[in-house]
Amino acid sequence: MPFAEVLAVVMVVAVCAALFAGYPVALTLGGVSLAFAAIGHLTDAMSFGILAALPQRIFGVITNDVLLAVPLFVLMGVLLEQSRVAEELIESMGRLFGKLRGGLGISTVLVGALLGASTGVVGATAVAMGLIVLPAMLRHNYDPRLAAGAVAASATLTQIIPPSTVLVLLGDQLNIAYQAAQLAQGKFAPDAISVADLFAGAIVPGLLLVVLYIGFLIAVAVFRPAASPAMAAVEGQARTSIVNVLFAPVALIVAVLGSILWGIATPTEAASVGAVGALLLSVRKVPLKTLLRPAAEKTAQITAMIFVILFGATMFSLVFRALGGDDMVHSALTALPGGAGGAMLAVMFAVFLLGFVMDAFEIIFVVIPIVGPALLRMPGIDPVWFGIMIAVNLQTSYMHPPLGPTLFYLRGVAPPAITTRHIYWGVVPFVVIQLVALVVLWFVPWFATALPQALYR
Amino acid sequence: MVVVVMVAMIVIVAVMMVVVVVPGHASSISESAPDVPSWQPLGLHMALLALADRIDRLNRAVGRAAAWLCLAVALLQFALVVARYVFSLGSVWLTEAVIYGHAALITLAAAWTLQAGGHVRVDVFFERASPRARALIDLVGSLLLLLPFMLVLLWLAWPYAARSWAILERSREASGLPLVFLLKTLIPVFAALMALQGVAQAIRAADALSGRR
Repeated sequence: MPFAEVLAVVMVVAVCAALFAGYPVALTLGGVSLAFAAIGHLTDAMSFGILAALPQRIFGVITNDVLLAVPLFVLMGVLLEQSRVAEELIESMGRLFGKLRGGLGISTVLVGALLGASTGVVGATAVAMGLIVLPAMLRHNYDPRLAAGAVAASATLTQIIPPSTVLVLLGDQLNIAYQAAQLAQGKFAPDAISVADLFAGAIVPGLLLVVLYIGFLIAVAVFRPAASPAMAAVEGQARTSIVNVLFAPVALIVAVLGSILWGIATPTEAASVGAVGALLLSVRKVPLKTLLRPAAEKTAQITAMIFVILFGATMFSLVFRALGGDDMVHSALTALPGGAGGAMLAVMFAVFLLGFVMDAFEIIFVVIPIVGPALLRMPGIDPVWFGIMIAVNLQTSYMHPPLGPTLFYLRGVAPPAITTRHIYWGVVPFVVIQLVALVVLWFVPWFATALPQALYR
Repeated sequence: MVVVVMVAMIVIVAVMMVVVVVPGHASSISESAPDVPSWQPLGLHMALLALADRIDRLNRAVGRAAAWLCLAVALLQFALVVARYVFSLGSVWLTEAVIYGHAALITLAAAWTLQAGGHVRVDVFFERASPRARALIDLVGSLLLLLPFMLVLLWLAWPYAARSWAILERSREASGLPLVFLLKTLIPVFAALMALQGVAQAIRAADALSGRR
């Protein structure tokens, strides 16, 4: 193995180790990569001059019109969070299904799916559901583990059910990787894969997860009735009717997702419609004065956080490539037994493991540029299918212990009766369900590819 | 090139030594002999904290002003959608303005986000660490990770933006905005604001470690 490649491997290990110290991820990525660029230069493994491409890369990132959808979707989610759409949805859904055994759990999943389709920000969903659903479930003698698990898993549906910020970023990175893969094969008029492809591809797998979650909750209600009893009586008076409550998210879903899927609008255009729609819906409930500044500031910080990680990851992949790391990954993946299947399995396993320590954005920005071009060159790997597999896998990273961000959000708002142990044990069955869904998608790629093909090809 | 980086590192380490050692020195003097005036090192300590305050105020002002851009971007983009689908009108000028707003939002809000603790950390250990350990991580991180990264970016992006200024680069589209040089300037500005915030972070971390106040 040439020295440069050794250096590339050491760099990956060093970055992972440094991340654990807890300094912001974006700057750790950039700083450690820079140090390795300096070492590489001093040892003639690479030239420092390659870094001159950095400003142009960053310029490309901040002027990318697909990524422009990110602040818009974030704004939409933040506004909906502040207008308490989530709270109202949960209350009325609970009233609708609460009298059934396990009904409160099932309505939690449905609300998670609806919110997922309308906001795309996990934290917002997790906090709202943790504040309202968890106490209600405990009051009705739900098993605390089941309650915590159902809430955590439902909140992560936001990641996979479009429109979601993660899918926008994943779509962008996948497209770059896909183009590189085709160029490497000598295809000079490469096909593109769009965010809309990923959105369309994620719908059926997202619904599959909803069905699996609900199936699990029904099974629990049947076999262990004590864990999820029915609500004794409808509590409180309905403040608004279910139709009224459903109107806001459904209208937004139809407007945003509909216009993207039917090819009328680009994700960025649709996101702006969603953001303005969310603004109009919020203004009805929260005075403009108290609404705008917090919403704008929160949106700005989340957006800056995401893009600075992308800057750091740009530095990382620039140095990694200069050290010959991408060729190394390519030959390592092709050398695996089992051809494309073996390589895919290795990547999925790596992403699953990384999910324990990193969150979705970091994995997308670091892993996709490294493995994407090599993997998408292999026969039989459909880019949309690959993207959806990664997305479901990443969604798992949002909930599996000990670092799933959803678990932290939940801990922050859960009533004291719910311990960390309850949450950790509670999500285990749902993590297993995620793995089942991955296996299903592995053997039936049709779930991911059918809808985009029907719509666009 | 490498020499520049090395020099920068040495300067950074030197600053670190001063920041860490001087207040420690001051406190040891005042503990052992409270009568000995220690105004001079204390003065440096205070001056550094004042500098950190000033940087915080600057980045907070810039960041909070830039935050409004997300609303502007949303509204302008929405206006574009309406213009395109309802009136079949398009405007290269406005399309580019949206991108400018978006780019400015990211680059100008980033340092303030750092100040507000908005950049994600892998907090498996950090969460449980003592305040001293956290301060140490922030000190080492800002001096060895943030500052080198941002100073190198500044040093690379400066000529990048300068080339654009030299020709007052305009959009490739004929009817686009003639302000690409401003757009490219956002990158060195981002690096400079981040580097400043890194200095402030290092000062505050060193202050926490010195145990003063």
